[in-house]
Amino acid sequence: MTPSIDPRRRFVVGAFLGAGALLPWSTLSLAASGNASGRRFVLVILRGGMDGLSAVPAIGDPSFEAARAALGRFATPPLALDGPFALHPQLVQAHAMYGRGELAVVHAVGLPYRERSHFDAQQVLESGGVRPYELGSGWLGRALGDGPARGIALNTAVPLVLRGRAPVDTWAPSVLPEPSADLVARIERMYAGDPVLATALARAKALHLDGALTEMARGGDSAPMTPGTTSLPAGAASARPGSFTVLARRAAEFLVKPDGPQAAVLEIGGWDTHANQANPNGAFVAALRQLDAGLAALRDGLAGDGTWKRTVVVVATEFGREVAINGTQGTDHGTGGAAFVLGGAVKGGRVIADWPGLAKKDRFEGRDLRTTTDLRAVLKGVLADHLEVAGTALDGEVFPDSAAVRPLALLA
Amino acid sequence: MSNAPALQAAIAAHRFGLGEPTLEPLRNDPQGWLLAQIGPADPARGSDLPTTRDGLRLIAAERDKRAAARNLPPGTTLEQSLAGHYRESTLADARSHVASATLTARPLMERLQLFWANHFTVSLVKGSARGLVGAFEREAIRPNIAGPFEALLVAATTHPAMLRYLDNVQSAGPQSTVVGRERRRALRAGEPARVTGINENLAREVLELHTLGAASGRGDPAGGYAQADVTAFAAVLSGWRVGRDGADGELPFDPNWHEPGQKRVLGKTYPEGPDALRQVLKDLALHPATARFIATKLARHVVADEPPPALIDRLAAAYRRGDGDLPTVYRELVRSPEAWAPEQRKLKTPEEFVISSLRLLGTTERQPVRIDGAGIGALGQRVLAAPSPAGWSDRADDWLGPDAVWKRVEWSTRTADRLGGLLDARALAERSLGPLLGDATRTQIERAADGPQALALLLMAPEFQRR
Repeated sequence: MTPSIDPRRRFVVGAFLGAGALLPWSTLSLAASGNASGRRFVLVILRGGMDGLSAVPAIGDPSFEAARAALGRFATPPLALDGPFALHPQLVQAHAMYGRGELAVVHAVGLPYRERSHFDAQQVLESGGVRPYELGSGWLGRALGDGPARGIALNTAVPLVLRGRAPVDTWAPSVLPEPSADLVARIERMYAGDPVLATALARAKALHLDGALTEMARGGDSAPMTPGTTSLPAGAASARPGSFTVLARRAAEFLVKPDGPQAAVLEIGGWDTHANQANPNGAFVAALRQLDAGLAALRDGLAGDGTWKRTVVVVATEFGREVAINGTQGTDHGTGGAAFVLGGAVKGGRVIADWPGLAKKDRFEGRDLRTTTDLRAVLKGVLADHLEVAGTALDGEVFPDSAAVRPLALLA
Repeated sequence: MSNAPALQAAIAAHRFGLGEPTLEPLRNDPQGWLLAQIGPADPARGSDLPTTRDGLRLIAAERDKRAAARNLPPGTTLEQSLAGHYRESTLADARSHVASATLTARPLMERLQLFWANHFTVSLVKGSARGLVGAFEREAIRPNIAGPFEALLVAATTHPAMLRYLDNVQSAGPQSTVVGRERRRALRAGEPARVTGINENLAREVLELHTLGAASGRGDPAGGYAQADVTAFAAVLSGWRVGRDGADGELPFDPNWHEPGQKRVLGKTYPEGPDALRQVLKDLALHPATARFIATKLARHVVADEPPPALIDRLAAAYRRGDGDLPTVYRELVRSPEAWAPEQRKLKTPEEFVISSLRLLGTTERQPVRIDGAGIGALGQRVLAAPSPAGWSDRADDWLGPDAVWKRVEWSTRTADRLGGLLDARALAERSLGPLLGDATRTQIERAADGPQALALLLMAPEFQRR
């Protein structure tokens, strides 16, 4: 899949990765030619450790009410799912997708990492390793390989998960003037001897001097939406340029292009809820609201031309939080939590969980929801069945030494 | 350090400092120029800057507004009544932050001030720290960056901004007076207790981000602490909180919130009461893992994203030799040959890029430069608003996304449009960069279509984007 890659650029990208690159240059692209099949993959990273037991409360678990105390009592009733589970009342549109069979919930899911550091856990989540900092590139970057499949980050910086051999596009709204093409050409000449800066500038230019997108970039949140989209009940805050909803809409605009990126990565913070987690004006509820509106915006943006049918979205966080609430009506760092898998290609309307129970004796270290499903099983399932990454690559290069972690069947 | 003095001067100005419009004043003794700067940071620029006391008053006023929310005039929402509550204070802080770095005559210490403020991140991103972020820098960081690390650690950990930012103000010992009282009140009122125990956020981040480094080792040294140490340290920290008015001269410590009894942290027993915190922090400051963690971060900040191991070893040894005396470490760094390698291995962060641009432009031509914190925000690094307690990244990879680079071009375009007609970018490039200026950049600046374009090219030059 690589004949069109200019050897100089490959060298350049190698220099960019520096010591982080683990793999020899000879490996071919792992993902099947995604652009031909038109399949799309979106990863949404929830940074800060989403409390899985608030987002997806196990209201039918006999220990739930006692352990969660005030956090187990919702102002409006949670939205029923399969078995003992429900969705937080803020996740209205996600619940509608569940009802349409487009959203699956995975519970008691987590990383092989069992400590409670955000920074280490996010490194593991994104690198695809078992221990923090053993890998310097990302599992999605490695899965995309160096073939024609490309990734885009809706962010000013490239997240670790997308770092691999291939160049990565990034996009974020701008409030500054557009530079002239002449100036850019001169800067390019000035960067002839600095391959790292030259590569970054070349990618940026390709994104920004693409007429239609540039026009939208200028407009921020006033950019036109895909015809047929419904407007969202998004408050002023979530329509800010750079808000999750705006980024999700923009991601959809990139993904529907026939030659657009195969994978997009978005992130949303605000999940590190140590205090007053149930406050209706607090960070947790606001983050859930943004997530719900953003996922709906993504769906709307992709539904128009049918791309949604060929899309899988995974929503994951670095860890869940403790089962018991802490002393300040919040939750401290834990391990197991919840993840969402959604999209037109997903066999949804179900909760996938090997439920360990919430009683103290069933908890990890007496504190956390026990992880019974390895998040890598979810990711491997999507990469195998949706992006058609070969099993040997998944067990080795993408998630090293993970043969024992079997991919989950998630697709319709 | 066998480089020609002119090259040394350029490295001192740009890598150790924050950029200079001319190398003339330091050409004779670049190392001496740096060593003579070592000392506490200068007082922050700006008049009527909000103090911690002012910040706490502002926070109390916010609370009052929220409490009065039920009696708002018709048609007004709580959001409207709170809009702009912190605007003036936040703007004053951001302006002072940028102006202090831009106008300083001691750029080494101003760089280190930015480094330490980032190490001990307190961020506007979290509502609870609003009103106090600038005061934290001015009161806890600036005066304490040229003494023992322990003093800096104590000042940062016990400042109201940190106690609020990392939730310690809400943490109560499970056996404390306040928890017992609240339990009884809640029982009577038939509602859930509002305060029931420990919040371990500050304890964990002090260990992981401020002293020992992450327990699991990330190329940085392993800290070697366990969950039990975090919990016990959180119990030591319980009671360290700020009252409604934060009266001067009092310890921010309330015994009613403190967990009674002795605590065992990292194998050592500490007494009940406020004195234990200072003892734990002293032991953490003197811990060899802290020496190595600080040495690694400093070397990464000044020299390279992946700093030479020999340099880290020497800085850590200097740290241990001086029991955490920071000037000893700074002097070791300034005298290390690795720090003077001609190759510019560090990419400037957006903040460094904007500040060095303002220094390049503002002081040479005596043009009034608008101190524009928002400009830095547009480049992806909103002033005083790091996204997490880990602070801003100090690695080029995290700032090299194509969008980030494009925003630098846009910022350079705007800045050059404003100022490029007024100065000679060719002369400025020679004076500021000296021997760092390469032929490709010189050629492009000379061939520029006009003054603004020449200046935009200088700002975007690899020699100026890097240090």
